[in-house]
Amino acid sequence: MSEYFIEIVNGVKTFLTGMKMTLKHYNNKEELVATLQYPHEKWPIPERNIGFENSEYNLIRSRLHVDIDDCIGCLMCEKVCPVDCIKIDTIKPPKGTDVDFGMTSLDTHKKMLVTRFTIDMAECMYCNLCAYPCPEECIYMVGGPNEHKHEIDYEFSQYKRDGLIYEFAEPTEAQFAEVGGESYVESRQSQKQKLEDGANLKGVVEEEKKTIVVDDSKESTKKKEDSGLTLKLFNDVGDKPARGVAKRAFQAAKRGNMDYVTMADYVNSAINDSGKSSPEMTVAIEIIRNYNDETDNTNTPVSVAAESSSETPLMVDSSSKNFDVKSLNDIEDKMSRGIAKKAFMAAKRKNSDTNSKIDAIKLALSEAEKMTDDIGRLLSTFVVSDVASSATAILEAVPELEAGLFDIKLLNVIDDKMSRGSAKKVYMAGKRGNKSTSDVLTDIREELTKSEMMNDDIDNFLNGIG
Amino acid sequence: MTSIVKSIIDSFQSFPIDPFLLAVLAILIPGIIIFLIMAVNALIAVYFERKVSAFMQDRLGPMEVGIFGFKGGKKFWGGIGQTFADAIKLLAKEDIIPNDADKFLMVLAPFIIFTGAFLTFIGLPMSDSLVISNFNIGIFYIIAMSSVGVIGIILAGWSSNNKWSLYGAMRAAAQMISYEIPIALSLILVVLVSGHLDIYGIVQWQSENRWFILHSPFAALGFVIYFVSVVAETNRTPFDIPEAESELVAGWMTEYSGFRWALFFLSEYANMLIVAFVASIVFLGGWLSPLQLIDLPFFDIPDSWMFLDGTIFGIFWLFIKAVILIFCMMWFRWTFPRLRVDQLMYVCWKIFIPFALANVILISIWELIF
Repeated sequence: MSEYFIEIVNGVKTFLTGMKMTLKHYNNKEELVATLQYPHEKWPIPERNIGFENSEYNLIRSRLHVDIDDCIGCLMCEKVCPVDCIKIDTIKPPKGTDVDFGMTSLDTHKKMLVTRFTIDMAECMYCNLCAYPCPEECIYMVGGPNEHKHEIDYEFSQYKRDGLIYEFAEPTEAQFAEVGGESYVESRQSQKQKLEDGANLKGVVEEEKKTIVVDDSKESTKKKEDSGLTLKLFNDVGDKPARGVAKRAFQAAKRGNMDYVTMADYVNSAINDSGKSSPEMTVAIEIIRNYNDETDNTNTPVSVAAESSSETPLMVDSSSKNFDVKSLNDIEDKMSRGIAKKAFMAAKRKNSDTNSKIDAIKLALSEAEKMTDDIGRLLSTFVVSDVASSATAILEAVPELEAGLFDIKLLNVIDDKMSRGSAKKVYMAGKRGNKSTSDVLTDIREELTKSEMMNDDIDNFLNGIG
Repeated sequence: MTSIVKSIIDSFQSFPIDPFLLAVLAILIPGIIIFLIMAVNALIAVYFERKVSAFMQDRLGPMEVGIFGFKGGKKFWGGIGQTFADAIKLLAKEDIIPNDADKFLMVLAPFIIFTGAFLTFIGLPMSDSLVISNFNIGIFYIIAMSSVGVIGIILAGWSSNNKWSLYGAMRAAAQMISYEIPIALSLILVVLVSGHLDIYGIVQWQSENRWFILHSPFAALGFVIYFVSVVAETNRTPFDIPEAESELVAGWMTEYSGFRWALFFLSEYANMLIVAFVASIVFLGGWLSPLQLIDLPFFDIPDSWMFLDGTIFGIFWLFIKAVILIFCMMWFRWTFPRLRVDQLMYVCWKIFIPFALANVILISIWELIF
């Protein structure tokens, strides 16, 4: 009988113990909660361990990454990719212009603008074949042996499938303007617009929309007609090498924005030089010569861009205090030059301005104990003390402005890439409209204020020009 | 004592209205009120239960589905829309009836269970003079109606033609019938002391004397026996043997889906609310405010505080008491592991029933002496 009561007492005791325990946890203190609210909070991604030392394996299946500042647009990786997951577009600047794209960290001169570098990680099969042929070693799998270049990332969680397409090249409007890539931007824009329209329509095409689409296509065909002579002209020529020579000459002439008579002469001389003259060729040249251009007044954007950039060559003059990776070549010690360049590229990727770039270089050098007086002096020559003062310095450097409008080069002083781009765009529009300096300046001011990129530095600088 | 049905009939009497239509109105309006109470109770209680269980297990519970501007971040209100979403999902689900099932009984069973919970609310007052219909045998009616559900459970288990369902139903029947005895014996205490089967009489007695739980140690023991027994009666953990997930999938609910399963769910939480109401009415003073507990020699409660005992505040006090008791039931659920069948029967027949019987005798003697 006593056992019966002991059991009851024990039951009540253990009952209370359990209740106390759960009530203690009911407070739900932060440090006790085990839940990680995944998409909002994440653990750091752990380094992969495949059973070897980090240095012993050189291929791990993580994410492909491109240091786009080092990319020269050679298309080697695109060609070698077995699943075609890499897509690259480039724009070469027109001949005669001297656009500087800077140097890679392996000291190769970049010759073109990479306008698109997309890697579709949904298609990638992680074979690492693209990493081997890259001459600049700028495409690689992140993490592992490349840990120092980019931290590991193998978590591709995205809300949409599109998120797996990684875009590495992000050229600014200004860079497009420099290489005369307006037509590229336009075509890209129209493609985007088409996709957007398609998404909005969701497969249902309304009557009114249809007519608009037809109108658009008509306009675009008209434009094509307007652009006049094309390379198709030479397709009648049977001789293949001769055709190539003629086409090349024609392109060059077109880029040089010649009129049709000179163009014909140019092509003719090129053909004669190579000794590839033929009756069909003569016919083609005659067509060019006699091409009665009723579209004289239609300046295609390409030609305008070519015109403007040839008028205002964007020379990178070391005297005009432009700071780029080339400037660091003056450093004699190889080691410190390497360190400085690396720091420069890192700072550039962060879009920092010249002064902070210099600071970053100084910091890197002093950390490696390679800082000398010579280097310090060299770097200090590039320090931009004040934007306005540097603007005046450039003003002095450029002797006399042509009637009305100031030089587009002046706008390079603006540090922020975005605002520089939009300022240049407004400048080009003003130039096309034959506006005066003050008008263009007010336009730039308006545009920048509208997009909230206006700051005191830019304001001072614009005042300096006016 | 007025009731809602009575006041509806009274207020419509002045209009020239068909007596048949009046009867329909008098049935429909309280029915809708009861259904709303049950539905809202299920919505809130499920969310409450999920949060309580999560907090006790060091989790966060639903955190993503916001509604009414509550969203994320806030620990308690983070997933306030979760139960709404679940309810919509349940109603939209396909209603599956197995080929070999007894279709008529299988369709009928959830409605019997639901009706049992539904009918109990008729005699259950929410506050002073806020009751659908007032009986002079209120307690007896409530005990009777809350055991109607057993028939539905046995029907559901039998008609599903499934071994798990049948086992669950048999266990449920055994458990619920067993535990009705200690429940009735504990409720008899208050009838014995106050001399009323009528719920108003019981609360009246408590307002004149004291809360019944404070009447004597035997009354307090009666409350404990009652409360543990109703946890078993509502088939909640640690007495969830009828639906033991690890043994019987979902017991007698195995073959049910969609709306019919939602009815089971609704009834389960309605039953929780009912037993919490009954416990707070019979033992904890019903809609009386706790001011009565303050009985200090040097402090007289000013008369102006007595508005706290009014009808509106009555609802508040009753719900506060019920919510605390429901929290305790959830607390049990997330603390204790499931009992074995023999342990369950041991607790009922060998501990609760002897103690409850002794309680009845001892409280009678207590009444004789004091």
